[in-house]
Amino acid sequence: MSDVFILVVEDEPEVRDAIARDLEPFTAVFRIEVAEDAADAREAMAELRSGGNEVAIVLADHLLPGEHGTDFLIALHQDPDTQAIRKVLITGQAGHEDTIRAINEANLNHYITKPWDAERLQSVVSDELTEWVIENAESVLPYVSVLDGPRLMDTLRNRPWKH
Amino acid sequence: MATKPKPLQVGGLIAAVIALVVPMLIEIPDLSESGERILGVFLMAVVLWVTEAIPLFATAALIIFLEIVLISDQAIWGLPAGDPTTGYAAFFATLAHPVLMLFLGGFFLAEGANKYSLDRTMAKVLLRPFGSKPASIALGIMLITAVFSMFMSNTATTATMLAVVLPVIATLEPSDRFRAGLVLSVPIAANVGGIGTPVGTPPNAIAVGSLADAGIDISFAKWMGLAVPLMLILLVAAWQVIVRLFPTNQDQLEVAIEGDFDRSPSAWVLYAVFALTVGLWLTEPFHGITSSVVGFIPVVVLLGTGVFGSRDLQAMPWHVLWLVAGGIALGIGVTSSGLDQWIIAQVSWERLAAGVLAGALALTALLMSTVISNSAAANLLIPIGLTLALSPAVDVDPVAAGFFIAVGASLAMALPVSTPPNAIAYSAGTISTRDLAIVGAIVGVIGWLLFVFVGPVLWDLVGLELA
Repeated sequence: MSDVFILVVEDEPEVRDAIARDLEPFTAVFRIEVAEDAADAREAMAELRSGGNEVAIVLADHLLPGEHGTDFLIALHQDPDTQAIRKVLITGQAGHEDTIRAINEANLNHYITKPWDAERLQSVVSDELTEWVIENAESVLPYVSVLDGPRLMDTLRNRPWKH
Repeated sequence: MATKPKPLQVGGLIAAVIALVVPMLIEIPDLSESGERILGVFLMAVVLWVTEAIPLFATAALIIFLEIVLISDQAIWGLPAGDPTTGYAAFFATLAHPVLMLFLGGFFLAEGANKYSLDRTMAKVLLRPFGSKPASIALGIMLITAVFSMFMSNTATTATMLAVVLPVIATLEPSDRFRAGLVLSVPIAANVGGIGTPVGTPPNAIAVGSLADAGIDISFAKWMGLAVPLMLILLVAAWQVIVRLFPTNQDQLEVAIEGDFDRSPSAWVLYAVFALTVGLWLTEPFHGITSSVVGFIPVVVLLGTGVFGSRDLQAMPWHVLWLVAGGIALGIGVTSSGLDQWIIAQVSWERLAAGVLAGALALTALLMSTVISNSAAANLLIPIGLTLALSPAVDVDPVAAGFFIAVGASLAMALPVSTPPNAIAYSAGTISTRDLAIVGAIVGVIGWLLFVFVGPVLWDLVGLELA
């Protein structure tokens, strides 16, 4: 059985753990994978995908060692295989330029500033995952209990075959 | 879309081929060659619809194809002289059977209601008089769900109403049992409500269509007369079961439904055609226009006025119609091949009292539909049920046979897999399999008793003739 993953790309271990902890409510249905930089993230994604798993959302820090988070997200957007992944930048240090590039070139779905608020983060991730499910999942039913239930019901109302 | 077949699918396919071929290879006493062929097709259909080795609608298409190549005048392997043959067009024609046109009319109305959010705004308006007491809100939700599912698919109705219910239960304490009660009330009411009209759910269409092929026409109003009073009693009983088993300590609940009536010209066209169609369906005894002809009115008007375009036409759940067509085609095959006479001859039916047989058909439909698709169960049982009922040897009204099988199929709701509404409600995570099993079984049994035992008495009282 394949799993759907949330990928967190963050170089500082404490921050990474804190994000993963705040995403705990989603683990009833999704699995969380963490990476410390872009290269590590690519490797993790390749491994997940070769195991038949999917990545639904990437939450990336901007200031990573090596390739910047923004560039990583742009690369994801340019690859047809990873284009459908929801992209969230979670950062305190992205400049004006980088932010604009992320929006224009990576089709950034959300920008969260550090320090983040757990509840706010959860609501953003819930919205983005709901969007991903509506667009990509064969059935919306497995996700109703953890994501935006009423919105998924609306989808079902319009596309009853997604049950 | 070629996904890896599951073991059940592989097994199902192998069993289906065996089921198809064996009756043709062995010599069955007193059964004609074409009867043997249809027996094979029927047994194959049983295997495929139970295992879902291929999609339900694909099995339906396969049945039509096999009937054409096995027993029609286009049969590939010629039939012995004297064996009955049917013109092949009759089998293709099931794909445009009048009852499917009736159903298509229902789809158009439902799609339109969805497109202009008529369902949601109606729910908002209709729920208002029920106030804010939790128990009366549950009753309101159930009545509205049932009425919607008389005209919309049970699946779409469930999704619409759960979108209303989920925000409400989010305001309740996680330990409040009423959360489960309110979520449960939606699929239960959708399943029960589907009984109400010929377009309520596919098994009803299979019954009406197969009866029409046997020369017995059931009007829309007639079906409603038979079904709606009992359906409403069952709904109230189900409501009582739910509010008793899932009490709350809240005195007040707030239901907020967003949206207002769409006042665009297209929406007005929809409202008008909706009212006209339903009005004509209900008044058939006065004007005599057959419900399937009326059902084509929304198709013509909504397409003609451009309210629906080609995309809307493509979005219709055609596969549901094909599944129903498969059941009707199976019925034609059973009758035209002489298999029906053979089935009747196998058992001395005189020993069965008429009431027992009708009740048994409903119960069989109920049990089968609990584990397989309601439509598939009706597709398999209605040809058998009508065969028995139409035989002079058996004293059961054919209408009762068809009606009870359709009702029995709708009463199956004890498992998450029993019906799509159940699966959808179960996905919300607030109800357990046990909740569903208890309430679903209670409502199923009450419904069965009500329709089989109270029904005939009630119809007699109001002077409603079955046939």
